[in-house]
Amino acid sequence: MEWMALLLFTAVIGLLLAGFPVAFTLGGTALVFAGAGVLTGTFNEALLSGLPNRIFGIMTNETLVAVPLFVFMGVTLERARIAEDLLETLGALFSALRGGLGVSVTVVGMLLAASTGIVGATVVTMGLLSLPTMLKRGYSPEIATGTICASGTLGQIIPPSIILVMLGDVMTTAYQQAQLTMGNFSPKTVSVGDLFAGALVPGLLLVGLYILYIVVTAIVKPSAVPPHESDGSRVSLVRVLSALVPPLALIFAVLGSILAGIATPTEAAGVGGMGALLLAVLRRQLTLERLREIMRSTLSISSMVFLILIGASLFSLVFRGYGGDDAVHQVLESLPGGIVGAVVLVMLVMFLLGFVLDFIEITFVVVPIVAPILLAMGLDPVWLGVMIAINLQTSFLTPPFGFALFYLRGVAPEAVSTAAIYRGVMPFVAIQVLALILLALFPSLVTWLPAVLYGN
Amino acid sequence: MNDTAPHTGLLDRISDRIGLAASWMTLAMVIVTFIVVVMRYVFDAGLIWLQESVTWMHAAVFMLGAAHTLQHDEHVRVDVFYRDMSERRRAIVDLFGLLAFLWPMCGFLAFTAWDFVAVSWSIGEASREAGGLPYPWIPLLKTVLVLMPLTVALQGLAMALRAVQTIRGAR
Repeated sequence: MEWMALLLFTAVIGLLLAGFPVAFTLGGTALVFAGAGVLTGTFNEALLSGLPNRIFGIMTNETLVAVPLFVFMGVTLERARIAEDLLETLGALFSALRGGLGVSVTVVGMLLAASTGIVGATVVTMGLLSLPTMLKRGYSPEIATGTICASGTLGQIIPPSIILVMLGDVMTTAYQQAQLTMGNFSPKTVSVGDLFAGALVPGLLLVGLYILYIVVTAIVKPSAVPPHESDGSRVSLVRVLSALVPPLALIFAVLGSILAGIATPTEAAGVGGMGALLLAVLRRQLTLERLREIMRSTLSISSMVFLILIGASLFSLVFRGYGGDDAVHQVLESLPGGIVGAVVLVMLVMFLLGFVLDFIEITFVVVPIVAPILLAMGLDPVWLGVMIAINLQTSFLTPPFGFALFYLRGVAPEAVSTAAIYRGVMPFVAIQVLALILLALFPSLVTWLPAVLYGN
Repeated sequence: MNDTAPHTGLLDRISDRIGLAASWMTLAMVIVTFIVVVMRYVFDAGLIWLQESVTWMHAAVFMLGAAHTLQHDEHVRVDVFYRDMSERRRAIVDLFGLLAFLWPMCGFLAFTAWDFVAVSWSIGEASREAGGLPYPWIPLLKTVLVLMPLTVALQGLAMALRAVQTIRGAR
């Protein structure tokens, strides 16, 4: 009955496009298929009886407790206007430099995007915050929008993003499964911390390449990135330090304690949330009203994420019940080119799915199906995780369907044409592809730091 | 989106109250995690029940917040097409989704969870860890497996009523 599994997958993608919330579309479609199977005697209904236990497993998954805590930290930093401050100050600081504003947008994107797992949110925030300023300073719409889309999606793959927490959790399970099928009954483990460590170098590599591109454009084509004429107001050192140091210290402390193996991601996220609250209080930005809004936001982002996970687990239960994972297994095993062929195909499929599905859905729906198979072929789990993350980020940037482009279109002024956004983002897509090729050729870019830190 | 969630009707108010009340637990999670960390690293004391209480609150937050999130239309949609649809079209999609996906899923979840929860209460389940959460915290948490689908289905009813109104009104 593998064709039923294939039909289920196709049906879910098709039905998701109608626009009903993802969590319920995933679960509901799977139920319809399971029901049809039970009636025709092709689906074993006993498979579904374990569902409450699985959901309770999701509820008590200790790794994922880090998600709402990181969200709380991120939302607090955002609501306390710390991100805005950071952008303004950095912009002023780098204004002497050619392309300085573009560079600061990239840096802020890297720092702040860790807060939410939703592609749209950061791109919208960055777009509202920096697009008007960039255009006012004479940046061409192309380079301004390209920079914002790329930096807005960048934070997703830079630790401590909640995307990496979720991907790490899925990878942990997949890696165990893979090793059990290989007959290794004392499996090695991979943790969220490993993935954080693995994503750091590639993330910084991307930041470096973006900045290089902006600076080179500023030198070669000053009409697109004009030098900033100083308006006479110089920023004082005190202001720079007070805007820059506290949030940076917070992020480094959180990330550092995880990478150094001192704290679990959950502990670090909790302390980070406390630190963010403290920052907000010190800046006199924390009113009761704002606290309520922070808590409400955390609740609904968290609920959104975990309901998708519940819907996805219902989906994968039914998908497996129809033998879907065996079918995928056979296809991937029988490809010409062996492991390379399998990775290329999976990456290509994910890239295309990235046009319709967000990071969370792909992490919970697609990765659990393909990752155990690829890992059983002998791939490094951290490398695979980072490749998936960068691949998806590329997908979100690619015209004409990339998510990020839609979101930026929504907040960009009419004067900025959609074609300009498409043209502007193309060089960044090229950079992404370059990075993917580099990581494929030199996997140690990913695996070096985790090996140094954790020695495995 | 806040502007599409008029605070009308009893159903909306129920979702709102539950969600806002549960949201306080997000703050509590941050504070308790901080305390756990301080206890562990400063006083070298591990309090299992305190640590378990963070996981407990986390689960309660996203399960009890689901209806509130639905009310504010914050469950992510694939909106490539939905975004450009007319109000009426959207209402039709919503009504279809409720009938075909949301209600069946909620019904199924509540139905299968019922025994799971009942067993937990009847055996007086406590945490498996020594020094973990005592009875009745575990059965209480399992009970949200029934509460989540019920509250979401009720909020779905409010959504359906609104959708029907939109479909009628747009004629």
